[in-house]
Amino acid sequence: MTSLLMMLAAAGTSTEATFWMPEGASTVAPDVDGLFDFINLICYIFFALVVAALIWFAIRYRQRKGQHTFEGGPTHNMALEITWTAIPTVIVVVMFILGLQTFLDLRTSPGNAYDINVTAQKWSWTFQHPEFAVTEAAELTVPANRPVRLLMGSQDVLHSLFVPAFRVKQDVVPGRYTSLWFEATQPGTYQLYCTEYCGKDHSLMLATVHVLEWDEFQAKMGKLAREYEEIPESQLPSYALTRLYNRCASCHTLDGSSSTGPSFKGLWERTAEGTTVFTDGSTLADLQKPGGVYDIPENYIRASLVNPQAHIVQGYTGAMPSFQGQLKERQIDALVLMIKHLDKLVDDQGNILENPDLGSETPQEGAADDNG
Amino acid sequence: MTTVDTRGPAPVLDNYLTHSRGLRSWLLTLDHKRIGLMYLVSVLGAFFLGGMFALLVRTQLLTPEGLIMDGDQYNQAFTLHGAIMVFLVIIPSVPAALGNFVLPIMLGAKDVAFPRLNLFSYWLWIVGAIFFVLSLFTGGLDTGWTFYTPYSVDQGSAMAGVIPALTGAFILGFSSIFTGMNFIVTIHRLRPPGMTWFRMPLFLWAIYATAIIQVLATPVLGITLALLIVERAFGIGIFNPVLGGDPVLYQHFFWFYSHPAVYIMILPAMGIISDLIAVHSHRHIFGYGFIAWSSIAIAIFSFLVWGHHMFTSGQSELVTVVFSLITFSVAIPSAVKVFNWLATMYKGTISWNTPMLYGMGFIFIFTIGGLTGLHLGTLGTDIHLHDTYFVVAHFHYVMMGSALIAFIGGIHHWWPKMTGRMYNENWGRFAFALVFIGFNLTFFSQFMLGSQGMPRRYASYVGLQQDVFQPYHIASTIGSYVLALGFFITAGYLIQSLIGGRRASANPWGGRSLEWQCTSPPPHDNFSEAPTVGDCYDFSVLRWDEQEQGYVWREDVPHPQQEEVEAT
Repeated sequence: MTSLLMMLAAAGTSTEATFWMPEGASTVAPDVDGLFDFINLICYIFFALVVAALIWFAIRYRQRKGQHTFEGGPTHNMALEITWTAIPTVIVVVMFILGLQTFLDLRTSPGNAYDINVTAQKWSWTFQHPEFAVTEAAELTVPANRPVRLLMGSQDVLHSLFVPAFRVKQDVVPGRYTSLWFEATQPGTYQLYCTEYCGKDHSLMLATVHVLEWDEFQAKMGKLAREYEEIPESQLPSYALTRLYNRCASCHTLDGSSSTGPSFKGLWERTAEGTTVFTDGSTLADLQKPGGVYDIPENYIRASLVNPQAHIVQGYTGAMPSFQGQLKERQIDALVLMIKHLDKLVDDQGNILENPDLGSETPQEGAADDNG
Repeated sequence: MTTVDTRGPAPVLDNYLTHSRGLRSWLLTLDHKRIGLMYLVSVLGAFFLGGMFALLVRTQLLTPEGLIMDGDQYNQAFTLHGAIMVFLVIIPSVPAALGNFVLPIMLGAKDVAFPRLNLFSYWLWIVGAIFFVLSLFTGGLDTGWTFYTPYSVDQGSAMAGVIPALTGAFILGFSSIFTGMNFIVTIHRLRPPGMTWFRMPLFLWAIYATAIIQVLATPVLGITLALLIVERAFGIGIFNPVLGGDPVLYQHFFWFYSHPAVYIMILPAMGIISDLIAVHSHRHIFGYGFIAWSSIAIAIFSFLVWGHHMFTSGQSELVTVVFSLITFSVAIPSAVKVFNWLATMYKGTISWNTPMLYGMGFIFIFTIGGLTGLHLGTLGTDIHLHDTYFVVAHFHYVMMGSALIAFIGGIHHWWPKMTGRMYNENWGRFAFALVFIGFNLTFFSQFMLGSQGMPRRYASYVGLQQDVFQPYHIASTIGSYVLALGFFITAGYLIQSLIGGRRASANPWGGRSLEWQCTSPPPHDNFSEAPTVGDCYDFSVLRWDEQEQGYVWREDVPHPQQEEVEAT
């Protein structure tokens, strides 16, 4: 039964959402759903039998007025007891075997899979495509009708990657790699969740999966690969805000409110003036004296990205992971510029302005260490 | 406690409640009945607290963005709900509260084997509970009741209340171990003449099987929690990969206890149901031997299935397959117990009173809880369902809808014995209806939530599927309010019965186990004369007596007292 559904799935279509299951958009989805329906059917039958007997006996054999003495009744019946032990045993063995088949399909990645490296950290996902040297954040773009294998690692605690439409899930464990594969069958947009509890913003550790036909997929990868190189200098702060900030957003607000980390609002002013106070009581100004490590204020922002544990701002825990190696130099430039010009990019409430006025001197700044 | 109160008029009938007076006589009592009653009050207090956290959680999820709490607050609410309900409520509920009261009387003993140890267990429970509450005020607790590593041992992740909470769970573990040990020794050593193993009521078999798990599994939890404390406090690498540890190892240790713990919760409940169904159907239990042995079998198998909590954890695929297979083997004895209960009702004389309604409610709910375990035990479907609301619904059907429903049913069943008063039966039936409807509305919705993809432990559910999820969440929250109302009404009429309830006869339901042979409430030493041990499920020898408002021995059946004594 399940192998038949497997063959239907190869036709490359998605299944509609049902009462029980969301839409299915991977090759294994019909297989999992068929198994689920089979178990449901067994459950319906047993449940109906049990409840019918329960209600029938409760009504038929209710204690009536004046019924004050009782029959002894049988104490056991070996044949009956063996029968009702044997039948469920056979059924669960069948269930186990069907479940095993599906599990092996779910876990056995085909050889020609398209590889993606996944990094999970509180509370964001990073997807890296080695084939195109592209890194995506909070969005995962995959080709349709081609097996995709995710090689996953965690920077901090346990996470778990779950895409309901694909019926796949795998924990992401710090200190080792885990992997997962699927073959999406239908171009579209699907939800990706973190399903292993990871703290404050666990429920915001989401990503969107975009399934594209191979041609479109290649085109998009090509575009993403060149994006940060081709973006004009004047657009870098906006690029950082729209394309990079989503990885910061779960901890750093734009409106001045405190979250897991300090707000980006006013961050540049605090940095330039050296008023930031650290957990050890020292201030940034101490480190900014001539010849100090951060005599150029931009260097403090840069260090906070690649080595965030070096100095923890007072009132916060050192929850931030390092982005060393995950960001290209030009992306770091963009983030520094974004923080520097944030007051021109967003309004007081932290809403992104449509046409920011960055002034004329912007493009030259921060280009000192640009090596693209 | 041996000081008999001589002030005031002596009660007409001396019982354990009136035997001695004053707060001291309760707090330092060695009487298993008083200790059981103190457990009952304490556990119900914790149940109230855990229930309030549950209502906060459900209210939060009315809207996709989350209605009343931020992420940190929600995480504390669900953590404390889970930790309180597991460690402070369900695990001690039936064995420590009802078991303590009923076990020695059912057995025909005067007390448990080690009354002082029993009192010590109770006070350990209190100390453990204090530590739990302390965790709230020492930085909060947001790890989930499972304390998964490395989150729980990472100073930068979990809140600072982890160590008090772990200490609390560690202490509660010892309370549980001592209770289990006490019960094992009591059943082995204190059975009076005539009380052979296979004459014991099935509740005792269930408590005995439970005690074995408590004694063998809980030390593993204790050691694991101690390792967590050491790792978090001193930075010694055991489970944290940053320090060279292995986070999946923690999951193995944790579930090696916590899966058997599921049976610490459900086995005593099954024991209660076996007795409730038989007594209130006035019909001999069907398949006594099978039910008794299946309790022991389940206790043993429960140690071999922990890995089914870890199908997506990164454990080896071969191990995963083996655990799936063994998991199915536990399904069989559970299924057969349901058939046995139904066969007991067949051709019975079924009283539609509150304990029986809870018994039938249990069969309905446990059937759903058990059957949905099949979806989770099956590998292919578990991958999709793991860590979603489907799992949440499944274990609430088993732990709340089955274990706690049986506990509430048991409270009603033994209420006349414990308090000497009858509660109002009509209010009881009405409250049961609310509890039953509220429960199913709350948790059946969560099956669909989970299979549609809603992950558990989410403070909000904004995303592409929020419109699918929200109606189910609203239904679930409404259900939880109905459920809460049912429990509040239950508390109301039970408390009212203490003041205005009709006095209970010795045997108001028609039970034949020994607790129905002593007065309600029982005397301090349980029996004023040696009880007669017989087939505790043969109800054909009893008849209703209108004047007594209870069941008495039939005059036309010879009383077996003489034969029994000789036979042993």
